Amino acid sequence: MAVSTTMNHAAVTPAERRVTRSVGLVGADRLWALAFVAPYIAVFLAFVVYPVGYGIWLGSDPASYRALFADPVYPEAVLNTLIYLAVAVNLKLFLALLLSGFFMRKGWWVRTLLLIFILPWAVPGIPSFISIHWMLNGQWGLINNIIWDLFQVDGPPWLDQPALALGSVIYAHIWKWLPFWTIIFLAGRMAIPRELYEAADVDGASRLDRFLLITFPLMAGLYLVCTLLSAIWALGDFNAVRFISGGGPALSTHVLATLGIRNAFELGNPRMGMATVLSALPLLIPLVILLMRQLRKGEVQL
Amino acid sequence: MTTARLDRRLTGIATLVFGLFLILWSILPLYNMVRVGLQHKEDVFSNNTWPPHPTLDSFRTVLHEAYWLLQNFWGQMGNSFYIGVAVALLTLTIGTLTSFTIGRMRIRQGWMLTNAALMTYVIPMSFLAIPFYGIMGKYGLTNNPLAVIAVEVTFATPYAIFIFQQYSGSIPQELDEAARIDGASPPQIFFRIYLPLMAPALVAIGTYALLLSWNEYLYAFLLLSSDGNLTVPVGLGKFLNSDEAPWNYLMAASIIYAIPPLVIYYTFRRKMSGGLTMGGVKG
Amino acid sequence: MKQISRRQALAGSAALATAAGSRRAKAAGTVTVWWTQGFYQAENQAVIDTMKEWEKRTGTKVDLTIINGPDLITKLIAGMQVGDVPDLVHTVTGDRFLVPQAAWNDQLVDVSDVIDSQRSEFLPTALDNSRFYNAKLKKRAYYSVPLKCSTLMEQSWRPLIEEAGFSDADMPKTHDAYFKFFETVQDKLRSKGKRIYGLGYSMATKEADSGTLFHHFLTAYGGAAIVTPEGKLNIDDPAVRKAASMALERLTTPFKKGYVPPGAINWGDVDNNNAFYARQIVMTPNATISISVAQMEKPDQYFKEIITQGIPAGNDGQPIASLLGVSPCIIPKGAKNIDDAKSLLKSIIEPATLNTYLKETRGRYLPVMPSIVKNDPWWLDPADPHRPVAVKYGLLLPTTAWWMAYNPAYSAVLSEQIWCQAEANITQRNMTVEQAAEEAIKRIKATFEKFEIG
Repeated sequence: MAVSTTMNHAAVTPAERRVTRSVGLVGADRLWALAFVAPYIAVFLAFVVYPVGYGIWLGSDPASYRALFADPVYPEAVLNTLIYLAVAVNLKLFLALLLSGFFMRKGWWVRTLLLIFILPWAVPGIPSFISIHWMLNGQWGLINNIIWDLFQVDGPPWLDQPALALGSVIYAHIWKWLPFWTIIFLAGRMAIPRELYEAADVDGASRLDRFLLITFPLMAGLYLVCTLLSAIWALGDFNAVRFISGGGPALSTHVLATLGIRNAFELGNPRMGMATVLSALPLLIPLVILLMRQLRKGEVQL
Repeated sequence: MTTARLDRRLTGIATLVFGLFLILWSILPLYNMVRVGLQHKEDVFSNNTWPPHPTLDSFRTVLHEAYWLLQNFWGQMGNSFYIGVAVALLTLTIGTLTSFTIGRMRIRQGWMLTNAALMTYVIPMSFLAIPFYGIMGKYGLTNNPLAVIAVEVTFATPYAIFIFQQYSGSIPQELDEAARIDGASPPQIFFRIYLPLMAPALVAIGTYALLLSWNEYLYAFLLLSSDGNLTVPVGLGKFLNSDEAPWNYLMAASIIYAIPPLVIYYTFRRKMSGGLTMGGVKG
Repeated sequence: MKQISRRQALAGSAALATAAGSRRAKAAGTVTVWWTQGFYQAENQAVIDTMKEWEKRTGTKVDLTIINGPDLITKLIAGMQVGDVPDLVHTVTGDRFLVPQAAWNDQLVDVSDVIDSQRSEFLPTALDNSRFYNAKLKKRAYYSVPLKCSTLMEQSWRPLIEEAGFSDADMPKTHDAYFKFFETVQDKLRSKGKRIYGLGYSMATKEADSGTLFHHFLTAYGGAAIVTPEGKLNIDDPAVRKAASMALERLTTPFKKGYVPPGAINWGDVDNNNAFYARQIVMTPNATISISVAQMEKPDQYFKEIITQGIPAGNDGQPIASLLGVSPCIIPKGAKNIDDAKSLLKSIIEPATLNTYLKETRGRYLPVMPSIVKNDPWWLDPADPHRPVAVKYGLLLPTTAWWMAYNPAYSAVLSEQIWCQAEANITQRNMTVEQAAEEAIKRIKATFEKFEIG
């Protein structure tokens, strides 16, 4: 995704591009075109259409849903998923928006700071999550060791208490993805013409005014698209929960993505697993529709 | 001292404190990785914040595969590389061919392909794990790295297509037309004009696809089983069920595993900044 | 360049096809084996050596993959759904989480002929644990071959007990008093400023240890009849109900009072071992003697510091039959090389081979054949403070089979961790013992409705 104006190669705006004609290809060209798109079509049919269809078929048995709704773990997982989306995604994006403002500052040390700040995103996720899991261990984890050194008290049992464990998962998610969204917003901010701010300064606008009257309105479209995309991806996030809390304690921190895998492969009921995942569709579909509508407006492109 | 000066100084201090906090926030889990990696096995279960007797022993152990859970560490690195490179090449091939056909040859049904890509892009990857597993069984691809490659290519290509289409917008259409008048065939245009001009986007997407598959856990875990086929993340997961809790080895192995993507990322950082990074979060 | 003629090309591809064919033929001479990863290296090396030995003897190749316990079960369940399975599997906790339901669904190969090759050797309880009901064929048969077994053992730190002012002789011999003793030990140690917990109860909703502990308490309080040998749920029997409530109460109260580490609600099967090594806990009930066995090369710990005991007697002073956990080998339906898998399996359960293998794993698990421990003095070596205790409780004193063999519904109860979930409802969600028991019983009844034997 990009903020179209920041891309140095975006010489042609989407509107211009859309007017270009589509031609009916003839003869050899037509064959070449077919040959060129064949691999993608093959991949799409074999690895998207077929699995999606098969998944829907697996998840079309009403009995699985009855069993699912009777499972006391399920409502908790739904609630966790909603909290995860509402808190992790929004908190992360709001912080990213603020931080992107901070990183607009000039100077070598800001650039260096940015290089360090980007590390969580550049380091592969699984090792980081394993490290966070160990860092939060109530008994031997780094965090509680620090708390003990500083205050001589036992730190909280981060992963052993349901609310704290979910909080820890959210922390890990934010830690991992905050840099990425900050960079996106940073690009968005850089696309805003400087003259606007200069004009505002002439008019004696305060910092808050500048943010509310210039930055935010111009970034709103981008912010919304990012929220939607991030929510869609967070809905499918498996690794953070799997490696930070493992769904524990007492199965209290599962989200739909991890519960689906548990039902399918740990309890041996793939139909119920698929039903678990498909029950997220009422959440996923509106997000996708909103996203499509927003993308069609063309302010922000993928 | 004037208030303005005091103000500036206070802002400076606040910024400094905030900057230090950001550094701490960013590196704490990574520091934990290094801290545990530098410890002796005996110190792992002790309440320290700094390795009491720092040692490179665990790194040496990983390098020499001198611990039973690490027996095939370099083999796993090899598998991760193989899968990563294959995914990158296939994604580039399929992505460029498709976007060339849609954007340059302008086939009439191009919008259908774009929509197909968009649809794939918004499917959370883990949601398809259950049917994917069944399907790979039918294709006879379980316990085969090809299965993981197929999955990663499937989820990487849509993003590749968007970026290629967007990027190729900056390449003047007239180049193609001139070449056609000279009698060039579509493959010739593709290889001689399109690909060379797309080089920066190719680097970005190649890196993106490589990193995407380098980080994959769920599908690699489900689809690969024999020791010789495992990738590093799955191998690291194996550690979590051993009685000896060799966290120092686990963390040392993690650090070594994190180095290639870090090098790649910081090398190609400029190329990946801004827009070209988006798909990197998909997981 | 010389042109390749059409005929040459044909000949070439024919040769390739033959080559491919012969490769396939060779592949048929391979047995694919999945084996549960051990807790320490010796366990894995023992499997590797056993397989190598067989390869050498028969010329058939073994393609061995060692996978950790929970992952192996996940992968096998997934594999059985699509028919992509190995030829032979050894899964340590499969007797409860996998085999009963797989047998019910007709996903396993009947291995009665393998059992028959050594039938008189097996411990009868181990055989009881290996017969399962196949709902498709509507009959019971042997769908797993028991290999090794174990019963719940109690392990504790002698130096900590002594530091609290006690000695081995002070440890009570009956159930409630025995566990209460460690609360006293904790109180004494805490008063000396030690940050320590008396009881290392596993109370998580994953893997096997927590379930083993709960069901031991259930039998200790007289609830062993929860499922009849015919496979009928007997939970409305007042004695069983009372036992279940008591087990829940006696496990959760010490937790709430701070005698169990808070982290125990997240413990996987290795974590109580790790907490023990870190001396965070004075004692822990464990499914095997792995804690001491893994420390064999530290003579101080092995011979002096770690105490191994069998389960205490019931509160009335009568001994309790231990629940016998059996680690099975199975051959999944769809395996490509059943014949070789069976002959490999037959070779593994020859008493001499089995003895060599289990000795090499340092005796963490016991052979399912009493004759082995009677004929080889190593197993009852009086100089060893741990192994003979385990042998006594597992092979010489009375044992009883888990109930999943009677009805696979109980396997689902264990997989879904219904009882451990009830413990968590009490400790985490402030339910009363009665409420939690009531909810668990309701879910268990619903589970049994899905498995009608008849």
